[in-house]
Amino acid sequence: MQIELKGRPVTSGSAVGEALVSKKPISFLGGVNPETGEIIERGHDINGHLLKGVILCFPHGHGSTVGSYVLYSLVKRGVGPKAIVNEVADPVVVVGAVIAGIPMVDRIDICRIRTGDIIEVDGDRGTVKILKRAGTCT
Amino acid sequence: MYLSREEERIYEGEEGWAYQIAMRILVKLGDLFEAERLIPIESAHVSGVSYKTLGDAAIEFLEALAEEGAKTRVRSTANPAGIDYDHLEEMVDLPVALQRQRRIIELYRGMGISPVLTCTPYYIRRPTEGAHLAWAESSTVIYANSILHSWTNREGGPSALAAALIGKTPDYGVHKPENREPSVLVRVEAPLRDEADYGALGIHVGRMLKDEVPVFEGLSGTEETMLKHLGSALASSGMTSIFYPCISCRGSRADLERLIVGLDDLNGASEDLSTVNREPDMIFIGCPHCSVKEVRRVALKLRGSRVRDGLRFWVCTSRFVRRKAWRYVDIIEAAGGRVITDTCAVVTWLKEIGVDVLMTNSAKTAYYAPTMNGVETVYASLDRCIEAACQG
Repeated sequence: MQIELKGRPVTSGSAVGEALVSKKPISFLGGVNPETGEIIERGHDINGHLLKGVILCFPHGHGSTVGSYVLYSLVKRGVGPKAIVNEVADPVVVVGAVIAGIPMVDRIDICRIRTGDIIEVDGDRGTVKILKRAGTCT
Repeated sequence: MYLSREEERIYEGEEGWAYQIAMRILVKLGDLFEAERLIPIESAHVSGVSYKTLGDAAIEFLEALAEEGAKTRVRSTANPAGIDYDHLEEMVDLPVALQRQRRIIELYRGMGISPVLTCTPYYIRRPTEGAHLAWAESSTVIYANSILHSWTNREGGPSALAAALIGKTPDYGVHKPENREPSVLVRVEAPLRDEADYGALGIHVGRMLKDEVPVFEGLSGTEETMLKHLGSALASSGMTSIFYPCISCRGSRADLERLIVGLDDLNGASEDLSTVNREPDMIFIGCPHCSVKEVRRVALKLRGSRVRDGLRFWVCTSRFVRRKAWRYVDIIEAAGGRVITDTCAVVTWLKEIGVDVLMTNSAKTAYYAPTMNGVETVYASLDRCIEAACQG
């Protein structure tokens, strides 16, 4: 059975991919290696994970507005996420998603999603569908 | 959000990708904060200029905008960069940084953003009272709202750039009169002797209030320089973008929540801003960038003295103010100091030029430098900075 979570559309487009779920806010400036898309913030719950091709689910962004440019650059270099799912959209991530041209949805209870789930984000309807559950929980 | 037919056209890409992306940024932010429409702005001030903080990511985006022929529609200025090309002997010797910093400045200039490279653009040209602006750089924003009585949200680099290209901003936040009303009365029950006391007060109150609008009661004075230090500190530790320096500036309401600030609070905040009690290898005055008056004050205190060997003494300001204050610049430089423009200690490379301990009279710098620059800080008034510079 598919689960559909209803949120708010932020930026348009749709994407299907593997979810990478973090319970912590992410600062794209300083928290992510801009060359490789690896999470490098010390003590972060997804430290060491790569953003390439994943659907990145996290509560919200924080930190410098330069973070928007980092998200753009990651996506242009092909090491960025396919889509973004947030609990609360904040300006840094919203602007990043707009200029990177990737779909984004917010007002989603991200605890419902697990790392490794295959999910579909619809940025026009504001929905997240869980297509396939991951074998193990993280 | 309501869009006019013209705005709709830009949103749909009929004027090309650059304006479309700029319009999308504004509309998405407007939707996020429940704006009703876009309003025209008088000017934009863009942050995200120093290559040190920006890195390569932004260059790619700016290159893409420039290729599409993006041009600003209103008077626009740029925040400090990471290098003063007139004082290269004081700067980091890193060819890549020098070259990329130049490229960033060229890209902004090409779009019509004036490379004044200062966080105090209001000393060059004051915005009109009551005008709507889209300014980034938190100290500039709080000064504009509180002292110049212009209206601007606390923009980020990308949103200020988008507003510069469109000439408009979404009407949320402090663009609405109801959001400019004071929400907390801050009673100051301690004398404020100098800018360092004002800065400590700002850090303390910013921490307590986050994004409230404070109205102060009991400030020892309301000189613009002192209020600049108060505001920049408030905006560093909190999300405040407007304050009122005195009750008579704004009719006080009896039902306002109160915050009492005593001497202990000020001393505590001040002590927190020093991470060590060691001799500095750099003394930095000019965060936010100095006015002519501040350059003069430094010069008069330094006249006849000599900065001790091996110590860097930086006074940072804009090229505009440096030119106007040339008499005082000569005095400072004759005493062994340097009047640096286009950058500041926080947005340039410090560790790389051998700075481990930074002494400053700026609460904002003392607040950020340990994390942004990885240096230790000593926080003290201008008088104590000059004393430390000349002793021994």
